[in-house]
Amino acid sequence: MPAPVDESDPEVVPVFGTWRLIYASVIIVNLAAMVLVYLFSGFRF
Amino acid sequence: MATLDWTVLAFYLAGIVSFGYWVGRNNRKIDDFFLAGREMPWWAIGLSVMATQISAITFIGTTGQAYGDGMRFLVVYFALPFAMVILCLTLVPFFYRARVFTAYEYLEQRFDLKTRTITSLLFLLQRGMAVGVTLYAPSVVLSTILGLSEPATIMVMGLSTILYVMKGGNRSVIWTDVVQMTIIWIGIFACLFVAIFKLPDNVSFRDALSIAQTAGRFNAVDLDPSLTKPYTLWGGLIGGLFLMLSYFGCDQSQVQRYLSGSSLKQSRLSLLLNAFLKVPMQFIILLTGILVFVFFHFQAPPALFNTVARARFESVRSPEKTQAETRYAEAFELRKKAALDLTATRGTMEADRYLAAQKEFMEARTGVATVYQEATGTTDYNDTNYIFVHYILTQIPHGLLGLIIAVIFAAAMSSLSGEFNSLATASMIDFVRRFRGPGTDARDLFLSRVFTAFWGGFACLIALQAGRLGSAIEVVNKFGSYFYGSILGVFMLAVLTKRANGTGASIGLFAGMAVVGLVATFTRVHFLWWNLVGATTVFVIGYAISLAIPSRIEAS
Repeated sequence: MPAPVDESDPEVVPVFGTWRLIYASVIIVNLAAMVLVYLFSGFRF
Repeated sequence: MATLDWTVLAFYLAGIVSFGYWVGRNNRKIDDFFLAGREMPWWAIGLSVMATQISAITFIGTTGQAYGDGMRFLVVYFALPFAMVILCLTLVPFFYRARVFTAYEYLEQRFDLKTRTITSLLFLLQRGMAVGVTLYAPSVVLSTILGLSEPATIMVMGLSTILYVMKGGNRSVIWTDVVQMTIIWIGIFACLFVAIFKLPDNVSFRDALSIAQTAGRFNAVDLDPSLTKPYTLWGGLIGGLFLMLSYFGCDQSQVQRYLSGSSLKQSRLSLLLNAFLKVPMQFIILLTGILVFVFFHFQAPPALFNTVARARFESVRSPEKTQAETRYAEAFELRKKAALDLTATRGTMEADRYLAAQKEFMEARTGVATVYQEATGTTDYNDTNYIFVHYILTQIPHGLLGLIIAVIFAAAMSSLSGEFNSLATASMIDFVRRFRGPGTDARDLFLSRVFTAFWGGFACLIALQAGRLGSAIEVVNKFGSYFYGSILGVFMLAVLTKRANGTGASIGLFAGMAVVGLVATFTRVHFLWWNLVGATTVFVIGYAISLAIPSRIEAS
């Protein structure tokens, strides 16, 4: 049986402060990158 | 290659081997050798994870792919950041707290010895053959650049990597990867800047982007729901997610890197560093390839980029050849004029005229390749990996050329080092120590080095015989792709369920591989989707069998 996952890491996450914030940033930055690439491909240079 | 380039390359090789040897000089136990004493900082592991993933063919092949196919390949990496977050929340804490050396060792703790042994054995088989290809593929290209024979190039790359990995194990792998990844980043930016500055005076960067866009080279996001079409957004996001989860979560060559972290936090941060950097890095590499594509609108590219093929073709004398080459030269001039007209006006009519000229140019190029194939009896001529090589050899100034070739070496050696080390770890931990028990530190360290040398030597042997083993290697690679999604299914059973057992997981694993084999053989479903098929099959069948045949512990 898998051991329960303990998310309470006492150490401070550099720059972002919390794990929740760093995970959210990864997802938001990636979604933004996908949108930018999509817009980039349709932009009239 | 000028003396200056050779000097830069020799300096790189001597430097990296000496550094790797020096940094790994203090190994006393196998914890040091395989997990770098579990004291590595996140940024070093993160760069090492990145360096292990980027191979020489990723560097030279991706730019070539962008030349011919544009940005579409980028979608494969869109799933990587999501995969990293999922792994940080699921598998990484389990691995870290289980204090394991290998990912498969965790499966014995969760299931049983049988599951561990089967998965580790499959890893050794698949990765052991694949590492030969990791060595062979760049050596074919590098030998044409360096003017050395393929065996000589294989031995230089293979032996220099074996030397420092044998001495320093994972500590040497990680620290040399940090240096190599830094060199690779410098090389990537140098190539991008050269590609921008080499554009003709009358063509601005914006003009170049306009030409590339008109030619459809920026079409990275394809919303087509087809399962057979390569590199659609859905294939990249869904199939790619399973591929990335499997590669970073279940492949020992990656797992071992982040198990070397001094804490769970360090291991997680190393993966998140990749989540932030990987997509921009691939974007820059692909953009460089696209700029090379634009550059060759204004300077005639050879119809055949492979120098060996070009030399063979020179001796061919036939009216078909003359006709094909004349058509190609005319198509180049026509496309050049159409591209200049397009940059001057950016009108719709000019865009249509350019597209027609581009189509004619591509057909003319295919025409020359067809004549070459017919005249020489060659089948499946493909020079994607030679496009960027031709560009750097003819356009990059001396000195910098040496650095770029060092980058190709660095990309190859950073992958090889991680793979040699992980193969030795799986052999030593999952088999020798598991079945014979731990020995003295000195004996275990000695055996670990012997295994490193063995797998390094095996890779050289496979690479040296790759020409003759062609179809056998293809079979093993195919087998590897059947295995990838399926092994993820085993880990999903381990982490996501309480009732799954070893029997269910093992039978599910083989069922998953069989189903992927059937899908690959009888359908045209793109390979990115195979990972989803494999993982899902293993999970469903493995769970069903676990419910039907409960383990003895559960039954009692």
